[in-house]
Amino acid sequence: MTLALTIGILVTGGVYLLLQRGMVRIVLGFVLLSHAVNLLLLSSGVTSRRDAPLMDRADPATAADPLPQAFVLTAIVIAFAITIYMFTLAVARTDDDTEDPS
Amino acid sequence: MALPLIILTLLATVACTPLLDRLLGRSAGWPIAAVFAALAAVVGLQAPTVLGEGGAVEFFVPWMPTIDVGLHLRMDATSWLFSMLVLGVGALIMAYSTRYFPAGRRTGFYALMTSFAAAMVGLVVADDVVLMFVFWELTTICSFYLIGLSGESANRAAVRTFLLTALGGLALLAAVVLLMVEAGTSRLSVILAETDWQANPTWSAVVALLLIVAGFTKSAQFPFHYWLPDAMAASTPVSAYLHAAAMVKAGIYLLMRFTPIFGDFPLWNTVLITTGLITAVIGAVFALQRHDLKELLAYSTVSQLGFLVAVIGVGTPYALTAAAVHTLAHALFKSSLFMLMGVIDTQNGTRDIRRLHGLRTTMPVTAVLMTLAALSMAGVPPLLGFVSKESLFAAFLEAPGPSWAGALAGTVAVGAAALTFAYAYRMVQGAFGGPPGEARRGEASTAYLLAPALAASGGLVLGLTVPLLNPLVDQVVLETTSEPGHGGLALWHGLNSPLFMSLLAIAIGTVLAWRRLSVDRGLDRRLFPVKGTAVFEELHSLVISVGARIGNLTRTDAPAPYLGTVMVVVSGLAAVVVLSGPTLPALNGETTRPMDWLLVALVLVAVIAVVITRSRLAAVALTGIAGFAVALWFLFLGGFDLALTQLLVEILTVVVAVLVLRRLPRKFHPVSRRRGAVAAVVAIAAGTAAALAAFALTGRRELSPAADYFLRNAEEETGGSNVVNTILVDFRALDTLGELTVLAIAGLIIIAVLDSSSLSHGNLPEKVSGFARNAVFSARENSLIMRTVGRALSPVLVVWSAYLLLRGHNAPGGGFIAALVGGAGFALAYLTAWDARRAPIHLPYALISALGIVVATGTGLLGYVDESFLRPLHVDIPYPGGYYHFTTALLFDIGVYLAVVGVLLTTLNRLGTEDDIHAETRPLGPDDDPPDDGEPPAGPHDDTSPVHEPTTTGGAR
Repeated sequence: MTLALTIGILVTGGVYLLLQRGMVRIVLGFVLLSHAVNLLLLSSGVTSRRDAPLMDRADPATAADPLPQAFVLTAIVIAFAITIYMFTLAVARTDDDTEDPS
Repeated sequence: MALPLIILTLLATVACTPLLDRLLGRSAGWPIAAVFAALAAVVGLQAPTVLGEGGAVEFFVPWMPTIDVGLHLRMDATSWLFSMLVLGVGALIMAYSTRYFPAGRRTGFYALMTSFAAAMVGLVVADDVVLMFVFWELTTICSFYLIGLSGESANRAAVRTFLLTALGGLALLAAVVLLMVEAGTSRLSVILAETDWQANPTWSAVVALLLIVAGFTKSAQFPFHYWLPDAMAASTPVSAYLHAAAMVKAGIYLLMRFTPIFGDFPLWNTVLITTGLITAVIGAVFALQRHDLKELLAYSTVSQLGFLVAVIGVGTPYALTAAAVHTLAHALFKSSLFMLMGVIDTQNGTRDIRRLHGLRTTMPVTAVLMTLAALSMAGVPPLLGFVSKESLFAAFLEAPGPSWAGALAGTVAVGAAALTFAYAYRMVQGAFGGPPGEARRGEASTAYLLAPALAASGGLVLGLTVPLLNPLVDQVVLETTSEPGHGGLALWHGLNSPLFMSLLAIAIGTVLAWRRLSVDRGLDRRLFPVKGTAVFEELHSLVISVGARIGNLTRTDAPAPYLGTVMVVVSGLAAVVVLSGPTLPALNGETTRPMDWLLVALVLVAVIAVVITRSRLAAVALTGIAGFAVALWFLFLGGFDLALTQLLVEILTVVVAVLVLRRLPRKFHPVSRRRGAVAAVVAIAAGTAAALAAFALTGRRELSPAADYFLRNAEEETGGSNVVNTILVDFRALDTLGELTVLAIAGLIIIAVLDSSSLSHGNLPEKVSGFARNAVFSARENSLIMRTVGRALSPVLVVWSAYLLLRGHNAPGGGFIAALVGGAGFALAYLTAWDARRAPIHLPYALISALGIVVATGTGLLGYVDESFLRPLHVDIPYPGGYYHFTTALLFDIGVYLAVVGVLLTTLNRLGTEDDIHAETRPLGPDDDPPDDGEPPAGPHDDTSPVHEPTTTGGAR
């Protein structure tokens, strides 16, 4: 429930920013969306189990689902790479305006 | 073993060409020719098996066992014939190339020609249709590059050739798929021998037509014939190879190969015979029209290929006899004619028969050789061309279909042969006849003439000893028609109809040659209203413009409409699902805990603030807060690694964002109230859909078997207790490798983008101009604390990042986190430099990323020591009092580390520099770096400088 709400809030903010004018706001929207997607990936595991999957101290019966965590770890770094790439695009010319001035 | 040996030797030769070329220059052709000749001998050694016993040489290694596609190689008599041609003619042309080209280096040429030979040999010995398709496409690609070697003028021709033959390649691909579906195997010999193709006539007809399109495009049949003369842009050795043994013979091979299936399909017979004969006639007429010897020869090839296609279409044992012999005869006479044409060209500086004449006195050897080859082409006894032409006639007479079909085909063939005689005469007479002329550079050297002489005399020798070919030809006939060959190749068959047809063709040809002035006059006009290349270009631009028109329906420069559409559609789909009222399984356990609400509130506040604010800096900071809240979420959900990674990423994102923001206006662009409202509606719809979906579709199942397996067995199997890290570097390392590649590519794209369009100067001067006298904006004084702290902190960060890297397998850490910590260290070092150009980062950042991928891939290859790619190896290294458990997964993690650090460095260096206008006023080398406590030099931040005028550019504010 709480996780779903967080995802909803992040998606709302992300989509709103994506639909704005100017690359920087689009990038920030993308960042919020990627947070939402990462949380969604985690929620696809079993979120009632919340012990860190470090097996020298955790019990296999209660440890959190490690598989979505591995996905999210990669996703975070890839999203970061894409974010800095998009930031680069924002300053690659004169301004970050994505539309003709109206 | 012989078959893979041949292909591998050719590939090894390709690898050696740069070295050979460096040592020998154009003479690199000699050792390469020797390799080709030796490989031809290897093929020759297979003759007892392939021809004598009628068996086949086979080789197999598994390739894609799950879909039952293997590297099946198989050499039967048909393959043997074509391999001999590819390697034998290849050897001659390599030897010839050493003298054709002016002295100098020819790396590209030799490497591509040898690759081409490898692709052709692969094609003709492939016994798997998928493999055959791969080699088929390789020949297309090689020919594209070979034609393109001739420089700028050949570019378009290379592209046209490529697109047309690639079109045929697509047809072949479709045929391959259909063949595999119908036969249930990709094994060519099984498809040919064991599948009942009569059972499903429509299916077979489609396959046959696809194969025909593939064969016709490759073998330049009407209406695709124009690419072959178009490809004349290539150099002469390339053309000689393309025309005589490679490329165009691939189409012939394909059609011969599939004769066992389709040889008695009326569709196959009709299309092949009709198109082949049309091509034979128009090719010959065009040849008779040309003045350029090379063009004349190109059309002659078109015409001869037409004969071959038509006779394959007849499909009887006689016909396949003719096809095999004529393929051989054509390879010999066409390669020698092309090579001799090149000789004439280099010795005279022209190959236009209107400007050449009487070379018989100055180039007597060339004259004799060219006449010999031309006679073979014209079908005059006792040359091999006579035997092959006679067998062609014999075959056409028994063309399947109504009773008049044979007579008609025979008549047309005689006509085309007469035209062949005429253009052969025209060629020889044009160059060597007429009043005695001087060759500008006299007769060519023996080395230059060696290869064409061998090919031309080959036609004579084989003509005189033609019964020697009987075992080969009979075996080919047996393989392609399943009927025994008649063993009847001979110069003299007694008085029969083929002989009379030959004589008739020669007689008509003689008349045409006699009356050549009238013929020239009659043909000196455009015979077709359109040119093939022009039609191609028309179609090409039509396709492009139609594509553009379709794209224009939805194209806009603004991203919002695209993104908005997707969101609206997804929300709509979600609404449909909700309205259908699905029943949900119960939640599994306690998915919500009281503390979670704190995070919901935090995220909500941050997101609302981001959406409302108009300040860029505030928006970045607020997004960072949302990111920290998400990191806390990760922590709550048991993802220590995730939380750490997220925190570091947030820090670095802010660093990068700040580098970017200083070049941009302070405020966001204004948007109309109405648009804001629309965006809000779409956003709320999408957010609601996402929340509902997340609630309805997750948290309602048990742990997946895979996750359970990892939790229970990861530590035992990998020696690492941090399960998430073991998944990344041990179990799913291939995913991680793919991710590294994405990262490194992102770095490269950043470099490429900024190399091609310079950074925006935006607001850099504004800051300085307005506040330069204000102590708050004095970069040097203000960075003092940061500098002092940074000096102490940087080494700590480096050591800590190494520590995180090493312990990652067992505790939170690992390559990603360690690299982000290291990157934070670099960012700190960067930020503490009071002037961006003094940033102490002078590392080869692109190289570091690349190194990361090399290390990771290398570790992966190391895994082959123990079974498979990326499989980690484990070693226990003893030290006093215990063991250190070393695994190559750590090396892999180092690759991860390097790739991530490389991308971070790229970003800092590329976005952080004050590129620029200032740099020219006072270039700064590493030597004149003043000590930190020195006076700031005048220059970049000097407020008297004219570049620091206040600006108001860059967006509305």
